[in-house]
Amino acid sequence: MLSTLHSRLSTSPVLTGAKRWLVAGILLAALASYLSGGINPYDRGVWIDCGINIILAVSLNLILGHTGQFSLGHAGFMSVGGYTAAKLTLVCAALVPAALHPLLFAAALLAGGLMAACAGLLVGIPSLRLRGDYLAIVTLGFGEIIRVVMQNTEAVGGASGLSGIPKLTTLGWAFALAAVTIYAIAGLVNSTYGRGFLAVSDDEVAASAMGVNPVRYKVTAFVVGAFFAGIAGALYAHHKQTLVPTGFDWLKSVDIVVMVILGGMGRTPGVIVAAIILTWLPEHLRIFAEYRMIIYALLIILLMILRPQGLFTLRFKKKGKEAKTLP
Amino acid sequence: MSDETPLLKMDRATIRFGGLTAVSELDLQIGRHEMVGLIGPNGAGKTTAFNLITGVYQPTSGSIEFEGRPTAGLKPHHLAKLGVARTFQNIRLFASLSVFDNVRVATQLHRSHGILHSLWRGKGFRESEAAVESEVMDLLSIFKLEGLRDEQAVSLPYGAQRRLEIVRALATRPKLLLLDEPAAGMNPTEKEELMHLIHFIQERFSISVLLVEHDMTVVMGVCQRIAVLEYGKKIAEGTPEQIKCDPKVIEAYLGEEEAEAEANGEGEEVAHA
Repeated sequence: MLSTLHSRLSTSPVLTGAKRWLVAGILLAALASYLSGGINPYDRGVWIDCGINIILAVSLNLILGHTGQFSLGHAGFMSVGGYTAAKLTLVCAALVPAALHPLLFAAALLAGGLMAACAGLLVGIPSLRLRGDYLAIVTLGFGEIIRVVMQNTEAVGGASGLSGIPKLTTLGWAFALAAVTIYAIAGLVNSTYGRGFLAVSDDEVAASAMGVNPVRYKVTAFVVGAFFAGIAGALYAHHKQTLVPTGFDWLKSVDIVVMVILGGMGRTPGVIVAAIILTWLPEHLRIFAEYRMIIYALLIILLMILRPQGLFTLRFKKKGKEAKTLP
Repeated sequence: MSDETPLLKMDRATIRFGGLTAVSELDLQIGRHEMVGLIGPNGAGKTTAFNLITGVYQPTSGSIEFEGRPTAGLKPHHLAKLGVARTFQNIRLFASLSVFDNVRVATQLHRSHGILHSLWRGKGFRESEAAVESEVMDLLSIFKLEGLRDEQAVSLPYGAQRRLEIVRALATRPKLLLLDEPAAGMNPTEKEELMHLIHFIQERFSISVLLVEHDMTVVMGVCQRIAVLEYGKKIAEGTPEQIKCDPKVIEAYLGEEEAEAEANGEGEEVAHA
């Protein structure tokens, strides 16, 4: 009995099935892209927003949910990625034949992600010494610095921003990259290496005593999280076709934080659902647009009182019951 | 390295916090496969000594060597890698993780596959994860925790949490295991089991153990050698029998007047201190 159970337990479904899920996600994205001609352009646009917000929320979840570092700088990372990618395509679009534009876009996405990851490294370093509210303030400051820098850099259009960015983001790109992000971050956390993120978030002293280097994990979380935020920014730039610095103020970061908190910190499926809901909700509540932040604040307060663990708690014990019956 | 090098050697290790000298010129040596006890009244500096050994604090003066290598400047995770593992006085399990994952985190010291492996999930990664899993399950079953594998660590009964902390420490494959008051809050039966467990661990994993404990029955029953701290200073060191009869120790625990009254009695009273 014991030995059969052991053999069953040793092939964890997370490990064997993970890549299949990624492939399924990308195929789904391709299908969605193929069918998206039938959707009206407005809905298609909102679904692309959903994909972008999923990337943002899931990547922030690594920093905030899994590693427990309160970061308000996600919009900053996003803008670094967005501006980098947009600048790249604006400069190169004329030089590259139209047929190769998807390749150019892929390169721009990667460049945006990498630049944002560098920014993540820069912000990750102060995070070695700070935690909680203090870290939140530093990351908030970082986001604002980025915005002010963009506003005053003529090369990226200054206060009026960049416009005329080619429309390269499609539903397929957005969904496929959302699938890649989910796969990468869920896969990272669901490994022996990745459990270190959760350990650091639970108890840094104990983690350190068990040989987990908290500094390395915290910085890694920032770099990986920022990388995907940069990609989201690049998608955003080629979706909206214009970038203005004020679009990346701290309220944008708060939006993403709300998605993570609403979905349940560290719970990827919940965060995905929350990202989709919070993308569609404002679209249907256009009339209340001015009260959006009030509604968000109320939502969070109610959530903290009623369901502090997040709306969608999908932490289930797969094999717990069978295992418990053992002597 | 010769076997004569002590595993741990503290040489006049001192730490001051402002005006308070928490540990003062502590000399302590632990040999291989040795069981050493560290006792003393509340606030004597026992846990601070632990924190010095594990790199949480750096000594203000004096030195600490592990396997002949100075540990100055090393962080706790470096020391864990060298082979120092510990449990905590107030249990510090990873609260949101399962029993299995609590132990799994500690195994990564020896099986680290980095980020890229975790993302690619190739054959090497799967093999390594499978090896981790069987290692963790082996450890859990030695300590009869395998049935609780998917429970959240903090939902375990108190005694099981203490055991889990020990399992987690052992998963780092230590040479020296530091136990900080493992018997705190246990009833006599549990204490009895704990003593067996400590003996078992030392033999099975052939490691050295440094034990901080208030409960004299446990300390006397487990340790070959005991050091006594009071106000950060070592006031006595010796075998359990020597410590039991040491007037300084009795004084430290019972105060001077009672010490005189009890001086002729046996160490039993100390046991209840």
